[in-house]
Amino acid sequence: MSKTRDYILLYINGKKTKIKGDSVFKSLSDFLRYEKQLVGTKVVCAEGDCGSCTVVHGKLENDSLNYKIVNSCIKYMYQLDGTHIITVEGLKSNGCMNPIQDSMIKNHGAQCGFCTPGFVVAMTTMFQEKNKLSLKDLKDGLNGNLCRCTGYESIVKAGMEVDTSNLKHFEEIYDAKNIIPDLQEVKTIPIFIETEEKKFFAPIDLISASEFKKANEGLTIVSGGTDISVQINKGMRNPNVIMSTWGIDSLKELKIENDNLIVGSRVTLSELETFIKDLYPSFYDVLNVFGSPQIRNSGTLAGNIANASPIADTIPFLFVMNAELELSGSNGFRTVNINNFYKGYKSLDLNNDEFISKITIPLLKNNEKLKLYKVSKRKDLDISTFTASFLMKSNEGKIESINIAFGGVGPIIIRLKKTEEFLKGKFLNEENFIQAGLMSTQEITPISDVRGSKDFRFQLAKNIMKKFYFECLEEEAVLCQ
Amino acid sequence: MSIIGQNIPHDSAKGHVTGESVFIDDMPFAKNELMVDFLGSPFAHAELISVDTSEAEKIDGIIGLFTYKDLNGINKFGPIIQDEHLLVEHLATFIGEPIVVIAGENKQAIEKAKKAIKLNMKELEPIFSIDEAIKKEQFIGIPRTIKTGDVESAFKTSEHVLEGTFIIGGQEQFYLESQASLAYPGENNSLVIHCSTQHPSEIVQVAASILGLNQNQVICITKRMGGGFGGKESQACHYAVMAGLVALKTKRPARIILTKDVDMQVTGKRHPFQNNYKVGFDSNGQINALKVDLFSNGGAAADLSTSILERAMLHSDSAYYIPNMEVHGKICRTNLPPNTAFRGFGGPQGTLNTENIIEEIANYLKKDSYEIRRLNCYGIDERNVTHYGKVFYNNVLPEIFDELHKKSDYKERFDSIKEFNSNSKTHLKGISLSPVKFGISFTTKFLNQGSALVNIYLDGSVQVSTGGTEMGQGLNTKIRQIVADEFSIDYENIRIMDTSTEKNNNTSPTAASSGTDINGSAAVLACTAIRDRLADFAAQHFSSPEEGIVKSKNNIVFKDNYVFDDRKPHKKISFKDLIPLAYRERVNLGERAFYQTPGVDFNRETGKGNPFLYFTNGAAVSEVLIDKFTGELKILRADILIDIGQSINLGIDRGQVIGGFIQGAGWLTSEELKYTDKGYLLSHSPTTYKIPNITDMPDIFNVEFFKNEENTVNVKKSKAVGEPPLLLGISVWTAVKHDLSFVSKNRVTLNTPATNEEIVMRIAEFE
Repeated sequence: MSKTRDYILLYINGKKTKIKGDSVFKSLSDFLRYEKQLVGTKVVCAEGDCGSCTVVHGKLENDSLNYKIVNSCIKYMYQLDGTHIITVEGLKSNGCMNPIQDSMIKNHGAQCGFCTPGFVVAMTTMFQEKNKLSLKDLKDGLNGNLCRCTGYESIVKAGMEVDTSNLKHFEEIYDAKNIIPDLQEVKTIPIFIETEEKKFFAPIDLISASEFKKANEGLTIVSGGTDISVQINKGMRNPNVIMSTWGIDSLKELKIENDNLIVGSRVTLSELETFIKDLYPSFYDVLNVFGSPQIRNSGTLAGNIANASPIADTIPFLFVMNAELELSGSNGFRTVNINNFYKGYKSLDLNNDEFISKITIPLLKNNEKLKLYKVSKRKDLDISTFTASFLMKSNEGKIESINIAFGGVGPIIIRLKKTEEFLKGKFLNEENFIQAGLMSTQEITPISDVRGSKDFRFQLAKNIMKKFYFECLEEEAVLCQ
Repeated sequence: MSIIGQNIPHDSAKGHVTGESVFIDDMPFAKNELMVDFLGSPFAHAELISVDTSEAEKIDGIIGLFTYKDLNGINKFGPIIQDEHLLVEHLATFIGEPIVVIAGENKQAIEKAKKAIKLNMKELEPIFSIDEAIKKEQFIGIPRTIKTGDVESAFKTSEHVLEGTFIIGGQEQFYLESQASLAYPGENNSLVIHCSTQHPSEIVQVAASILGLNQNQVICITKRMGGGFGGKESQACHYAVMAGLVALKTKRPARIILTKDVDMQVTGKRHPFQNNYKVGFDSNGQINALKVDLFSNGGAAADLSTSILERAMLHSDSAYYIPNMEVHGKICRTNLPPNTAFRGFGGPQGTLNTENIIEEIANYLKKDSYEIRRLNCYGIDERNVTHYGKVFYNNVLPEIFDELHKKSDYKERFDSIKEFNSNSKTHLKGISLSPVKFGISFTTKFLNQGSALVNIYLDGSVQVSTGGTEMGQGLNTKIRQIVADEFSIDYENIRIMDTSTEKNNNTSPTAASSGTDINGSAAVLACTAIRDRLADFAAQHFSSPEEGIVKSKNNIVFKDNYVFDDRKPHKKISFKDLIPLAYRERVNLGERAFYQTPGVDFNRETGKGNPFLYFTNGAAVSEVLIDKFTGELKILRADILIDIGQSINLGIDRGQVIGGFIQGAGWLTSEELKYTDKGYLLSHSPTTYKIPNITDMPDIFNVEFFKNEENTVNVKKSKAVGEPPLLLGISVWTAVKHDLSFVSKNRVTLNTPATNEEIVMRIAEFE
């Protein structure tokens, strides 16, 4: 192993902070509240599902800091090397409140006040990029924050009425010139931290990563950490050896090459969301309701794949698209079709020295129709009860081929091979899709859980076939006109 | 201009938006402070044979482990019926019921201790559902009846009779700040407990009783809560007492902060109900007779269930005059955490039950449910006596109905929905209006008392503290406005102090929407007394026999920061300058005042009386869109018209109205409590329990206030606003029911919450 360092370096509200030892393994919210007395950041759920702990996460990109919101309760300190964290206490400039805070006061945006710091941080960050926010912007940007008192109307109003003429942007409050050189300097040195109980490694090259993984069986790779950190917080998991691939620059790529979309494993879901908006509109809509802005700013596509949940929102899409995963190991790379990646519940075709380095997704062809569905109890910031994706080629009302994947109907996400076969060559009509719906129930093995009963999932399987058909019909009708 | 009615920001707004407001867990940690936690029963119903803490005691960092044997007082309490133990003695009655209190120096030690404690328990058969409890005759309290007329003979003469059963789900309060307390030990076994509670006096009473202290040895201080919604009325005290116990035993500060998961698992919720009904009506939809059997799921102990059931029974008329009516109520004892107060306190369940019946009648007669509602609405001079004998004075509901019907374009939309539904293959729309007639006052007479302490300091600044607690609802802001108005001085001169039992003793909970009513009225009385003394002094000060101005208290005016004799107003003195002068003349500049709500009383035996001082009234129209295939629900538009009298602060009140509506809509749509068959709550965090999100707001949202200056019985002609708006959310659910009437040829059975699953499965059933 090359030269390493034994500390994490970050800035908090413009102040350089070096962390060693046990503190590295604390959540950011605990660190802020109990080690720095920055108690404005509140913790409610400790699972990234309420946004009360929202802070600004400044990430070094090229020569500037890119500020996005994250949930501090599920960000651990070992994930934060080379970042600038701004908390609610850091929003003031020269002791004065910002215009967002003024507007929240004026418009009664706060009642009990417990969710308020999270909302203010989120909203202030939104105003870094835009001077004026629409209703849609606000709803899209704030759906990771829950409020139980206001019914949100006053918060929305506060957002619409902000006078940004006097807003000091983060760059103005915190001079990046002072921060960036420090962050850039440490970037070139891998991190290795060992305490009595735990080890953390952040390599900067692929080979070291594979070797470390091989040498430490049962090691946990933390990408965005949006699921693993929840499990740690809830006492379901206590990883002793953790590796982050966040320092490996080659995993950052996001581009189109030979009619394929290439997504590196450290590309966040928000970066992906922005990039694919016109490439796969239907996938964009799903990403738009994937977790929350805070989650998407942390989570990655690779993380969603490796986490292997049967209700992962991105996997049905990758299944019907026949995405290829590039796995990086000590002997180089190999690729595997995602349809063959899952062997059983949370069981993967992945060797002990391998990790996902990139994902290759074919672009949509002209005659292909892609439709994705996510059914959840609440539209936004909810985990799916059931997911479905369809990729269909049709010609003059006849189905040439169709790929269908369902999630939430068994231990892994599945392709409905028999149903696909049945529909192939058939006419696009209601009767065929009713039949397909019935057939699909033979291919799935749903269970009852907190998100829905078995019967509900069977019913959804039938319904979604019809919904797909009617939506195609409506779109064709529009085309005919 | 009077400060009353002005749109002043929330008293703590600045602290909230900057994160500087202090909640319990934000208070600085003392060096020797202990963390407090507890180990609860893993079973819903089990005999506790023995507890072995010997291994846990050896863990480094564990300072104390306490069972019921360590309590010096009486291990039995409850706000109405004393049937709850702080710590299990021999019988555990719900999952999570505390058995051992653990005091430790850090979280890791406490987690280890939880695993090291050995509980020897024998599982018994639990009861979870209302049906099972009825079958096994497990009830809390006595069965109750409220009736008027003769339903049985009235059914015989009714043209149509419908019968049915209706299931109403519970609801988690989901205050964002979980239960939290911090106790400091004092001299001679005294305690100061900082607690996030709606009822500081109950903390004092219960802590003293369980810990074997006098009530004068315990002080409870509440600065603010990060939300309460009823969940911190009776159920904050368990954890406050645990912190108190540890502080007392170890002589170290002790703090308990529940995690959201534990909080949701062990605390009570809004009561689920299961009701049987029979309604008789004519072909116009005029209701002749209504018989209702209400069964609430009380959980394992009484808590506030008897009062909650009573309010449900008193609200079973919703907004309608029903000449023959009989309401029966029973509380089922089950092995769930004792259910408790939640905004509306039974009122929503009673009202919803009847609103469901209205939709049933409309569907049966193939009429617009609005027509049924308007037809049965209470009259103004006649048809205005409730089933419990109270005359409904100042009834503005007919006007609210008419005005909202018009303003919301109800008719046009009702008609266009029919067309939409006949054309759409994928979606359905529905629309409905639902009313609110919410009785204001505690139905338990003695709770209708408030107190306030007002102190003026020599620079003219004022402190006020009342028995009321601030949970975000804006009580403190309104109290400041009231005091500023009474002295006619600047709002900025008034400071609200922490609620403390040291300043106001034996207070009532901040509940029943009564916070401003009773505590604001007490503040007025305190200010009046001081003003009277100041006026007497000022009269002396301004009297001038040579100018023919004799001392006359009645001529003294307090206006815009000045005090003067209206016979020579130019010789005014500022309030600030008057105070030190008065002080030197030994005028008493402080007052503690007491208010009791006049004229309320209710006889539980006869089910008759005047339980409410007045009603807060309103109505909402909601239009919803449903995806037939996924059950996805969207509120397209909501229109609200509500009468809250003369608002003290319209910005604050608007926040209450909108927040209440959304919370009510959440209760009836996405908020679902799911348990395993062992009684373990599965939906115990926001990942699995879905309160409304910002994207669930109606696309179009019109909120208006009905002009009403006639409510002279309450402070500053205002009306209580805390709970009533929650009932406006019922219109969302009744709209869903209307929606489904388009796919059902027969009756539309729909329970609550109308989740996507409930909707999808009902559609599948109807088709």
